[in-house]
Amino acid sequence: MEKCKIIFYPWKKEVTVPSGTDLLTAAIRAGVNIYNSCGGEGVCGRCKVIVRKGEVITEPTGRLSAEERKKGYVLACRTTCKGRMEIEVPPESRLEGLEILTEEAKAKRLVGLYTPAEEVEKGPEVALERVFTHGPLSTKLYLEPSPPTLEDNVGDLERVYREIRKGREIPIMQMGLANIKKLSKLLRDSNWKVTATLGNRNETTEVVLIEPGDTTNKNYGVAVDIGTTTIVAYLVNLPERQVLGAKACYNPQVDFGEDVISRIIFAQEKDRLEKLHHVVIDAINNLILGMALEHDLTLNDINGVACAGNTTMVHLLLRVPPEYLRKEPYVSTAGFMPVIRAAEAGIKINHRGLLCCIPGVSSYVGGDITAGVLASGLDDLPTLGLFIDLGTNGEVVLGNKDWLVCCSTSAGPCFEGGGIKWGIRAMKGAIQRVEINPSRDKVNLYTIGKGKPKGICGAGLVDCVAELMKSGRLNRAGKLIPESSKRIREGEDGWEFLLVESKKSAVGQDIVITETDIKNLIHSKGAIYSGAEVLLKRVGLSFQDLEQVFIAGGLGTALDVEKAIMIGLLPDLPPEKFIFIGNSAIAGTRMCLLSQEAMIKAEKIAGKMTYVDLSTEPEFMNNYTASLFLPHTDISLFPSVKKLIG
Amino acid sequence: MEKATEKWASKVNELIIGATQKEGGTRNSLIKVGGATTLPFLHFEGVIPNPPVIAMEVWDMEPPDWPAVLKEPFGEVLGDPVEWAKKCINEYGANFLCLRLASTHPDTKNNSPEEAAATVKKVLEVVSVPLMIIGCNQAEKDTEVIPAVSEAARGDNCLVGIAVEANYKTITAACQSDGHSIIAESPIDINLAKQLNILISDMGFSPEKIIMHPATGALGYGLEYTYSIMERSRLAALQGDKMMSMPMVNFVGQEAWRAKEAKASEQEIPEWGPIASRGPLWEVTTAVSYLQAGADILVMCHPKAIDSVKKVIEELMKKE
Repeated sequence: MEKCKIIFYPWKKEVTVPSGTDLLTAAIRAGVNIYNSCGGEGVCGRCKVIVRKGEVITEPTGRLSAEERKKGYVLACRTTCKGRMEIEVPPESRLEGLEILTEEAKAKRLVGLYTPAEEVEKGPEVALERVFTHGPLSTKLYLEPSPPTLEDNVGDLERVYREIRKGREIPIMQMGLANIKKLSKLLRDSNWKVTATLGNRNETTEVVLIEPGDTTNKNYGVAVDIGTTTIVAYLVNLPERQVLGAKACYNPQVDFGEDVISRIIFAQEKDRLEKLHHVVIDAINNLILGMALEHDLTLNDINGVACAGNTTMVHLLLRVPPEYLRKEPYVSTAGFMPVIRAAEAGIKINHRGLLCCIPGVSSYVGGDITAGVLASGLDDLPTLGLFIDLGTNGEVVLGNKDWLVCCSTSAGPCFEGGGIKWGIRAMKGAIQRVEINPSRDKVNLYTIGKGKPKGICGAGLVDCVAELMKSGRLNRAGKLIPESSKRIREGEDGWEFLLVESKKSAVGQDIVITETDIKNLIHSKGAIYSGAEVLLKRVGLSFQDLEQVFIAGGLGTALDVEKAIMIGLLPDLPPEKFIFIGNSAIAGTRMCLLSQEAMIKAEKIAGKMTYVDLSTEPEFMNNYTASLFLPHTDISLFPSVKKLIG
Repeated sequence: MEKATEKWASKVNELIIGATQKEGGTRNSLIKVGGATTLPFLHFEGVIPNPPVIAMEVWDMEPPDWPAVLKEPFGEVLGDPVEWAKKCINEYGANFLCLRLASTHPDTKNNSPEEAAATVKKVLEVVSVPLMIIGCNQAEKDTEVIPAVSEAARGDNCLVGIAVEANYKTITAACQSDGHSIIAESPIDINLAKQLNILISDMGFSPEKIIMHPATGALGYGLEYTYSIMERSRLAALQGDKMMSMPMVNFVGQEAWRAKEAKASEQEIPEWGPIASRGPLWEVTTAVSYLQAGADILVMCHPKAIDSVKKVIEELMKKE
């Protein structure tokens, strides 16, 4: 078969693929990450690349503007290669990797992600004060069992058990055959001085490993939050309870679809499931290895990994086919995955080390939310609280110490920049604050890392829409009012508001916000608000009964509460009732890694949370339509906004 | 036994259509709708000051899709809006007309806004009953036509439409400057209806001059759903939601005569019975259902159907 060589710029990454391969597949093979949210179906129009040299066959698409076509833009997924070619990936199509993110460690939005959890800005009070009895996933004990005699002639295994149980209440203990086979010789060779690594396998304590001598000072674990978009990992010193380092990267599964549904569809073919599984495992292994090297550890010193992710992410992590999640009646293979050996999933730590997944509630409310609730302390509140995860799935949890109900609102990716013309994730150059001076028709922008603007992130979008509303440039249906500003003009996607002129942007084009973008945001904010509303109605309460609202998710650290209320994303409550808890999933996962008590609590949370399927709630559709207005069809629900806009 | 009655906090807006010389117009009569303080026809519970009214349809061209049964009562006047309007009043006793400017639709004659305005002027000269004027139901074309016809009818306080989300700005501005009331249409959803009312009011247009059209269908085409939407709208008005207190209009004729049940020939489906009475019955049944749901204005076509519905209204308005 004819082959063709493709070079991807600006990295000059080369790949040779059979002629007729589409450019998106070729890019993935070359290790080039190109933005796309539809899994290569030609629908999202995000995978724009420029053909510099070479011949291509490209399908017609309405996703490219005339101007772009003239410049040689094509959609990577709709274009196949022929012969040798050179492709340029423009900045707006690049999905930047780990290196770039780390460099941005100091950017405000990422504080929660890149520093030890103790330093998370805002709201650590609740998230981190919760102290559970120390009892990590993996514990090391130094043992000196007495050698056997004719009088004391119990077997070596029972002897080790007896030693471990001295002063400890461990009803169920087990050891694998691999260890038992080596046990007698090891005990004698090491002169009856050994270290036993105990692992918590749910109710059972496993003697995971027996090593000669005393290695108790080398016991580390890793907490991982596998988000649909971002993977975050913490390296933790288990006996000291100390977070040594934190790293994050994009979830490389993004290359195969932006949301969980497109990935479930993608995984229907067996080798594609394998692919999704492999890329996430590779990413996690990279994070772990990176942190181990930075702290002079060997992978052998890491004895346990605790993972939280939505139900789909956990299925893919363990290479469990996720297909039934998507089919009625939407059942997962397992909500409570048993603790397994990390090596079984392909995670490279100590070969006997354990992997535990935080239990999930349902197919669409996963362990990340359980962990988030655990970290927030919602399940211990004497008064009513609400937990909102501003992510792609937009989960909402309502309750207190006695009960919890939850739902998933499928808010969509717009809080993370998805589905927005100039939307990008909260990376360097992302506009995150917008101010509009109505009298001078001037726009002040603040970008992450203070660089030239590259696009707009979720928090920036919320800010921008609130400002447009406040300055009388947007009506309550989310339509721009052309006569109100010279910045409003008719673009290729309909009416748009000019945020940044091309000469001031990092991408060489005007950065605008279109009516379609605003509509997408209205749909997302409406889903979250009405999801919360339905949960409250379901239990006969209202927003006014809430004492506390926890806002989780990466976006939360930079979200202006008043503006979020203004557009109707958050209920109209006094600002002091809102608490930002940042990435609560990783905080909760770390707690579970360090404490069996926390893990048991997580199981209880997952077990007692009642899942409300919004698709079967007749109220939801009605509430949802009512919320597709700024801030809401019923303005009396937003008295503070009513005062402001009259 | 004691009657269980509900005391409502508010009422449906009352609206007058038409203007006599006294009000600066050229009409000889007025149409008054709305004002109810209770659900439809519950006279024991509240006041229903104005009975529901019927507006008879007049087109500015011969309707291309009307079945013979519906064309028959009008005969030669079809295609001549002035004669058609006169016939409705003189022969069929209409006191309210709905002039439909169908000829402006790009798929029919694509007539110009000026031609439409001329038609409106002529009709207003010849007849003296209040007028409802609607475009061709193509949002884009209506934005050109309505401002012209609105101006032509200036001072006569007509009911003008149909404003939808895509074109409400132009139509609202026209109605505002020429002193007409407006029909605001949204697709069978109580929230969307309210949203459009808010958008129109936010332009400075008086909410008291809006009539809602919930885009309802005919009997057999989701009527029970539209019925409940209308009922909920009415309940919202009675509970004091000012942005839902508008009277409602239903285009009964347009919908009923689109139904297969009204149009199918006797050869096609003999078991459905004689076509001569089937169509009018379909229109009557649809109309009566909407009366019960809270309709204030019914736009109808067939004279026989109109006669029957008038009698029903008379009966329903009796307080005993």
